[in-house]
Amino acid sequence: MTNEELESQLSAMFDDELPEPECELLARRLARDEALKARWGRYATIGAVLRMERGVRTHSGLVRAVSVAVAAEPSVLATARARELVRPAVRRWWQPVAGAAVAAGVAFASIVWMRSEAPGAPGAPEVAQVQPAPAAAVARSTAPDSYVVPTVDPTATGSTPPFIPPAELADYVVAHSEFSAPLLRHSALSSLVTADPGTGNAASAPTGGDNDQQK
Amino acid sequence: MLVLALAVASVAGADESQKWLERMNQALTTLNYDGVFSHWQGGKVETLHIIHRVQDGAVTERLVSLDGSGREFIRTGSELACYLPDQRTVLVERQPPATLLLGSLPNFEAATSEFYEIKAAKSTRLLGRRAQLIVVNPKDQYRYGYRLWIEESTGMPLRTELCDGHGRVIEQVVFASIAWPTHIPDSAFKPDLSADSFRWLREESGPLAAGGTPMLWTALKLPPGFRMSVRAAQKMPGARYPVAHLVFTDGLASVSVFVESHTHVSHALSGSTQVGSSSAFTTVVDGHPVTAVGEVPPETVQLIANSMKAESRASAPARSPFDSAIPPLDPTPLQLDLAHGPVSALH
Repeated sequence: MTNEELESQLSAMFDDELPEPECELLARRLARDEALKARWGRYATIGAVLRMERGVRTHSGLVRAVSVAVAAEPSVLATARARELVRPAVRRWWQPVAGAAVAAGVAFASIVWMRSEAPGAPGAPEVAQVQPAPAAAVARSTAPDSYVVPTVDPTATGSTPPFIPPAELADYVVAHSEFSAPLLRHSALSSLVTADPGTGNAASAPTGGDNDQQK
Repeated sequence: MLVLALAVASVAGADESQKWLERMNQALTTLNYDGVFSHWQGGKVETLHIIHRVQDGAVTERLVSLDGSGREFIRTGSELACYLPDQRTVLVERQPPATLLLGSLPNFEAATSEFYEIKAAKSTRLLGRRAQLIVVNPKDQYRYGYRLWIEESTGMPLRTELCDGHGRVIEQVVFASIAWPTHIPDSAFKPDLSADSFRWLREESGPLAAGGTPMLWTALKLPPGFRMSVRAAQKMPGARYPVAHLVFTDGLASVSVFVESHTHVSHALSGSTQVGSSSAFTTVVDGHPVTAVGEVPPETVQLIANSMKAESRASAPARSPFDSAIPPLDPTPLQLDLAHGPVSALH
């Protein structure tokens, strides 16, 4: 297959216009071919990039999101289009996104290190509570090795009502972190290695820094 | 004349401040550093140790909690490992070899300064070093602000604060000590514990449905200055169907919107929540769960989530693979080189 034909197949597959048998063949090839994988990734990225204005931000996460598709079983890739995916038994966490210094770490670890303040026993059924739920129980995924979902912090200030996000929300927060400004990702390092309650020290709100009127 | 001079001075001041921020981004991504910092967020403070090295284009880093949990994450080469001694677990993910060194940098365009006031405040001393305070003030209620104390010789932020529109600090990182070693040995990136008897979990990577999601989503209404910057489809772990992922940004702040492809009535949660310094809002649009997340005030994610609207791919006019909602550009000038990151206005 010439490069041109390959490109055209890739483009068609990306646009969901490639017939399934060919899709499967191409997927198998993608799984073996690093250069092809990268090119596939570029399709996803280029599309996104073309929609951006100048000052383009290319996120490896976009490449990643696509490349994981071809890293998996080729047959599963083809299958995914037509059939339901079997929900993996293993707990889930969102893969981190590479990029600037700490981006990956934030994305990855924050999902794991959301504050754990759980009095509940592991394996308790997941409870998604719609606000308000002041006496809400701990929400945990049923998989024993899942990450812990944040619980209500009774000492937390702020006006948002108590709400226990399900694990899906934690996934989304992590997926989003790739797009946070580096400053925030850097600041968010603490989310990564959150101490368990009791070891973290309670602290009053810091003052708003030095008076910036002084010179 | 004086007014004009002042106006010119303030514009020059803004450019100067932006240069400080660019320097800071460069420092965070390209320097070797080794420091201990405290992080305050949500009424709690943690102390952490970070070591960061860039060598031959590869980033190696290690972050360790000093507060007793013993947790740490280590990124070496193409692998990222999270050590959780309290759970006797190590989570490992393998990243593609061509790891992007340059991540996203804020776009300090003219548009950004329309919504943020960026100015240099006083120069001060932190950790015995001169640091320039740069203040980024939001001009409306849809975004947060920053205060950054940037060390003058390296560009490293010695102290950073995320603030709301009233100047209240939402999150703060303060270095207690920091050094910039020329050379950091590999041994500095070994975990403090022996994880041989731990349970090792490798990432689960689910396949992405080819062709993305069946619907094309867009926002009917956005806060001033926000525009769509990314549209992608992602396979969320454990999820059956791909999720549309859109990103809206004003150049500094960004909001992700996730829309599930298939309508279902299961959890159908809705409402606002805070996850760390991120605001999140979940709702349902035409039966599709929509979640908006970002480091912005709660009303921003709520506005964006509530304004999402779909059009079916089938009914949309024939599109190129690149989704020609925006007139396609000639792709050749882009010269995407994923190994070196994007060509951006900063370079």
